[in-house]
Amino acid sequence: MSPWRWLLLVLLLFAACVAGTVIGTIRLPLSVIWDGVRGVGDPNSMMVIRNLRLPRVSLAVLVGAGLGVSGAALQGTMRNPLAEPYLLGVSGGAAVGAVMATSLGIGAALLPLAAFVGAIVAVLAAFFVAHAAGSRGDPRVLLMAGVVVGAFANAAIMVLLANAEPNAVRNALWWMMGSVGEATWSQTGWLALYLLIGGGALVVVGREIDVLALGEEAAAGLGLDVDTAIRRVFLVASLVAAATVAAAGLVGFVGLVVPHIVRAAGIRRHRALLIGSALAGATLVVCADLLGRVLRPPAELPLGAVTALIGVPFFLAKLRRLT
Amino acid sequence: MFRSIAFALLASVAPVACRQAESSRHVDTALRDDFGASIRIPATPPQRIVSLNPATTEILFAIGAGPRVVGRSQYDEFLKPARAVPNLGPALRPNVEAILGAHPDLVLLHAGAENEAAAGRLRQAGIAVVALRIDRIEQFERDARLIGRLTRDSVPATILVDTIAATLARVRAATAGMPRPTVFMHAWERPLIAIGGGSFLNQLVDIAGARNVYEDLPQPSAVVTLEDVIRRNPDYVMVSPAAAPALRSSERWQALPAVRAGRLLIYDTLVVGRPSVTLGEGAVSLARLLHPGSVH
Amino acid sequence: MIDFRDVAVRYPNAEQDALSGVSFTAARGSITAVVGPNGSGKSTLVRALIGRMAVSRGSIQLDGQPVDEIPRHIRAQRIAFVTQREELAFPVLVNEYVALGRFPRLGLWRVADEQDRLAIGKAMAEAGIESLRSRRLDALSGGEWQRVRLARALAQGGDALVLDEPTAFLDVAHEMGVFELLDRLARGGRAVMLVSHQLNLVARFAATLVLLRQGAVVATGSPGEVMQATTLERVYDWPLVVTNDPLVGAPALVPLRARPTD
Repeated sequence: MSPWRWLLLVLLLFAACVAGTVIGTIRLPLSVIWDGVRGVGDPNSMMVIRNLRLPRVSLAVLVGAGLGVSGAALQGTMRNPLAEPYLLGVSGGAAVGAVMATSLGIGAALLPLAAFVGAIVAVLAAFFVAHAAGSRGDPRVLLMAGVVVGAFANAAIMVLLANAEPNAVRNALWWMMGSVGEATWSQTGWLALYLLIGGGALVVVGREIDVLALGEEAAAGLGLDVDTAIRRVFLVASLVAAATVAAAGLVGFVGLVVPHIVRAAGIRRHRALLIGSALAGATLVVCADLLGRVLRPPAELPLGAVTALIGVPFFLAKLRRLT
Repeated sequence: MFRSIAFALLASVAPVACRQAESSRHVDTALRDDFGASIRIPATPPQRIVSLNPATTEILFAIGAGPRVVGRSQYDEFLKPARAVPNLGPALRPNVEAILGAHPDLVLLHAGAENEAAAGRLRQAGIAVVALRIDRIEQFERDARLIGRLTRDSVPATILVDTIAATLARVRAATAGMPRPTVFMHAWERPLIAIGGGSFLNQLVDIAGARNVYEDLPQPSAVVTLEDVIRRNPDYVMVSPAAAPALRSSERWQALPAVRAGRLLIYDTLVVGRPSVTLGEGAVSLARLLHPGSVH
Repeated sequence: MIDFRDVAVRYPNAEQDALSGVSFTAARGSITAVVGPNGSGKSTLVRALIGRMAVSRGSIQLDGQPVDEIPRHIRAQRIAFVTQREELAFPVLVNEYVALGRFPRLGLWRVADEQDRLAIGKAMAEAGIESLRSRRLDALSGGEWQRVRLARALAQGGDALVLDEPTAFLDVAHEMGVFELLDRLARGGRAVMLVSHQLNLVARFAATLVLLRQGAVVATGSPGEVMQATTLERVYDWPLVVTNDPLVGAPALVPLRARPTD
């Protein structure tokens, strides 16, 4: 893969991060921003840069990278261009965790943990349901099991919200719309760890995903333990997705659209595709967050709302290509 | 056949006859409540009042109508005198059946969109319903007097309103000559909600000798961003006791100079939280926070 | 080289064996064809061979070693398998696709080295598809696509080639082309085993036929030995004759028209 394309991807990401740090409600000159990044100069501006803008941009980078990697891995493994990171009930489970936390009045600091636990429970439930249905890692059965778990989660959310205080409902809805606005450095640190381990693991098995993309029989013929390989990808990809949801709420369409964009740029082999999707996903989320901040000042559009808008032109383009 | 015609005639006359009987139970006024419905004062003083709004419940007890309150909302729990009154459920999207079960002759509701259906159904059942939305001090004054008129406690109501007005005037005078700091009033954390110009809190802060950085917003409250708050750079942050620890320990909030310098004013939600009987005390408590020693 | 010894396979929750008492050998240097009507167990046989289905009785052996004792990736290095159908959701280039054939030989980090690159080139040459190396898979004709799949199988570097319906959707020219290639590969020393419903076609090229019916072997041997009219009529449950044209060089099954009922 041509090094120039990689350079372009990295430059785009860098440019997006710079834009995200420079642009905001408070107009700060570039020199002040640079001082703030380095930790010198006017303490007020430095605080804005270091405690507000930089954590926010960093979290956006990590969330986008995680969703990109997860989506690309799942699309290759399932051989389905419409696969996406929230496949196995991750979003539903996380939402249930978050809504339960807000209904019970648990402190805001524990909300990400509740969401993460909810997501993991949902993924395990999907595996359990698939296993009980007699599958051996067949991706279609896992997919259906994920749908079942997701449907249950949606019902649970409605029940919880129906009986909740209006403030809890508002909390929950706000969380579900996704945001990197409450980013803290510790959150960013945790997500970076998950992404390094999970995303790294996916890149390592990237060649296996190439083989899985041929189909289960062909993959078995090439000596791959297909069931184990599929389960592994599902679990790790869902873990990464769950970590992003815990940190930033529900951010849709990124994991779905980014791999297509990277493939359209000519990257096909999965190791490169996963890394490319991480870079492109990060760029996309940083830009989406930026858009959300500048479209309707002084209010902010939730991140999930902006990324949902991406879905529209994407699906339109796919539709036109079909017909 | 004649029997069925007679029965049909009787059936069609009955509702009209009932309505005529009802209208003799109420006196129409030219007043309208906050749903736009005309207010009819009960011909006989209401003996069974349901109040689903802490502000109105407090007013009722303050003007001596407490013994006649037979139902309250779950949010009125914190009002000591109201605790003994049966809890009829939520104040928003109220439980109509529970209200009907209390056989009220007057129901006071919060005039929010979620309550329109319930108000309609209660009126259909022939009950006097008055929907009030109390956002500002003048609305409290108007509504306290109105409630006094409805319950035939006009004198205590007038005393209540006048006492509060006098306190507010006293506080305003005491802080008049002092420098006016700017204040950010933190109402909710997720999403970040600020008190705007349309709220009684805005008025109280003004009376207490300070200026709300979001007084330019017409609504009682609005969703804002932390960067915007920093841009407006308030001298103080006014925050509830529940939210204060989170603000102090939050990395993000450290970017606001007022938080960094520890200039957090923690208001007493019980006193300042509603535009009602405690308005006077509320103004005094805020003035003591903002200008210590200025008011006794 | 590939030895089926009294192999029986049963699907979970099935009342009967899908395969029972299957014994035959696919030797190096020749083409062995497994034939039979639909449902006779041909696909099950292939699945058992590549380890997707468990053998309930008997054993499948590779040069004397039971297949289930051989680690997956070693097995893939020795037997290459070409499936009936492949649908790639995301198109790749021909040379990337052929390169996947080296997967069983790649180490832990799955990085290709010079030896792998040589093997890929050799495989593409053998399959005659060097001119297609930079084409996208979805831009190939049926015949080209099949050759590319063969090249990937060859890149695995093993002695055995197992194909499931290799010419199912191809026209005459491409059918013959693929089989001529398989014939060349067999002559070169490989054991070529294929499963096909096209009896007449495989009879032209296969040295050994294994005729299955309802999971059991009805006959094994050369095409001349196996293709007896009485046997075939029983197996295919249809009136037929077996012709033998010297120009063709192999027997052919010709089904007769159904007799009109009076």
